[in-house]
Amino acid sequence: MTESALRLRGLRKTFPKVVAVAGVDLDVARGEVFGLLGPNGAGKTTTLEVIEGLTEADSGEIEILGLTWAHNGREIRSRIGVQLQSTSLFNKITPREALDLYGSYYPRRRSTEELLALVQLEEKADAHHITLSGGQQQRLALAMALVNDPELVFLDEPTTGLDPQARRGLWDVVRRMKAEGRTVVLTTHYMDEAEALCDRLAIMDHGKVIATGTPASLIADLALPSIVELTFEGNAPDPAAFEAALGLRVEPRMDLWEIPTPDPKTLLPRLLEAAEAAAVPFQQVHIRRATLEDVFLHRTGRSLRE
Amino acid sequence: MEWRLYSRDRVAMFWTMAFPVILLLGFGTIFRDSGGPKLSVVRVLAAAPGPQDAALDLALADLQLKVQALPRAEAEARWARGETAAQLEAEGGGYRLRLNSYLMAQAGATAGLVNQAWLVAQARLSGAPEPRRIPIQVESPGRKRSANYAAFLLPGLLGLNLVSMGLFSVGMVNVSYREKGKFRRLAVTPLPKWIFLLGQVLHRLTVTVIQAAILLLVGYLVFGIANQGSFLELLLVMALGTGCFMAFGFALSGFAETSEGYAAISNLVFFPLMMLSGVYFTLDSAPAWLQRLVAGMPLAPFLKALRAVFNDGAGLAGHGLGLAIVAAWGLAAFFLAVKRFRWA
Repeated sequence: MTESALRLRGLRKTFPKVVAVAGVDLDVARGEVFGLLGPNGAGKTTTLEVIEGLTEADSGEIEILGLTWAHNGREIRSRIGVQLQSTSLFNKITPREALDLYGSYYPRRRSTEELLALVQLEEKADAHHITLSGGQQQRLALAMALVNDPELVFLDEPTTGLDPQARRGLWDVVRRMKAEGRTVVLTTHYMDEAEALCDRLAIMDHGKVIATGTPASLIADLALPSIVELTFEGNAPDPAAFEAALGLRVEPRMDLWEIPTPDPKTLLPRLLEAAEAAAVPFQQVHIRRATLEDVFLHRTGRSLRE
Repeated sequence: MEWRLYSRDRVAMFWTMAFPVILLLGFGTIFRDSGGPKLSVVRVLAAAPGPQDAALDLALADLQLKVQALPRAEAEARWARGETAAQLEAEGGGYRLRLNSYLMAQAGATAGLVNQAWLVAQARLSGAPEPRRIPIQVESPGRKRSANYAAFLLPGLLGLNLVSMGLFSVGMVNVSYREKGKFRRLAVTPLPKWIFLLGQVLHRLTVTVIQAAILLLVGYLVFGIANQGSFLELLLVMALGTGCFMAFGFALSGFAETSEGYAAISNLVFFPLMMLSGVYFTLDSAPAWLQRLVAGMPLAPFLKALRAVFNDGAGLAGHGLGLAIVAAWGLAAFFLAVKRFRWA
């Protein structure tokens, strides 16, 4: 049994007007939850679609579970599960029918009842697809991704459009999948999701991977792993003068200032003193550790959420 | 497993969709109109009717001719509108028959009958013995006593229905589903394209057979048209034809990206096919090469076989070549369909 679940080398995919994937290398080990984190338009979905065989790459190598599309297409499809970013099914098909139907396409499958229970769709098992809410449709798509008891599962933005409770529910499902020994590759633009679920992740922007590693290591790689926040009522004032006084960079956000620092404890008293002296009208002080959002910002100068 | 795959595919995929029974009812109503064309003549009323007119009118009444007597002004108005095939009016001491050049098929037949009536009228007026007529026996080539025009029409309509269903509804639905991304999720499953398409063909086949059965039932109950041949053979021919034209639909759908594109392509194929099929008129007067070409296309042999079974009760034995042509076209189309099929 091969150790690698997924191997990508030099993957490229261009569309008429845009380079969606510009040379991507990835390694995903078996049994890990791997994330592709990046803003909308980073190329995450295209990358996934090429891996899943939906779209053809312009160039590059793809190896899935040690197999290639050219030679083992059918086998790959039998062993992977896919949740597309949006799944369009026939209007009047019901979840139960969809699971029965898609399950029938595989040599090995999990029971419909079990899957319905897993995603908590038992009540809506016989409702027409068009009557399901967005979140319910997402959950069905997830169940469909698992119908063949796959070794490797691809989830494209699995919690987009879900309410917080449903998000937590999905996170639990992903954790269970990992506990069952499956490999999961997911894309997301939610930093908290990436941090909560992923063993390792790759940050993507403009079709390229700009950083890979565990969430912890990515944050630790930042020279300045902590942030002191000063929150203001209304808009944050221009920090230029204060910056000069403090001798440290101050990042203005809408209603707060962020001051990255390696050592918040030492900084704090000095900061408060300087702020008092300059009559900075802040409301709250908050120390937090850097997050993946900050990593992304640091690397690209842009926010994940743009 | 393969069997389970496509049987599942057929059933689950479509049974939840509401299927237009309206289509069937619509078919029934269209049928009502085909009572068969009746020949008619417009008779311009004479200003002062004489014994000649009376004799002619009597003779005309004997025939299978619908006589519409109208005053001159009204008749001329109708003529001008092109509604009249043949008009009988007085001229000099006798009569004149005007025929509408656009409706010569009907008009010609009418002229024959009118003149026959005139000959009989003249014979009566001159006191000659009543002329005897040669008895007429109407029968269809297979020598079964076929009822009427409607019976002749039915297999033609049936065949046409199959063709248009195959080209338009099947192909169009396919393209529009693909446009809407309904097949995309299937692309990541191991389901082979050919099984998917086969499942759709089989499903449509079933539906078509049911449709046709209803059509036949309506035809039987309302018009008294019955299948003269064996039902099994009828079923066989219909299934073969359906399969063939469904495959055509699928093959064509592989060439269109959008519904509009498909509409254009399918019409491009449909109209020549229809014109040349022998449904509306026979190609006896067409050049030989065209006749051979048409015979090699699937629609003509299919209709021939269908009519043979339905109207004449003949067996399918003599149609082996024709049916083989239909089958061959169907398989070729299916092959093309699988090759060109994309999930998204």
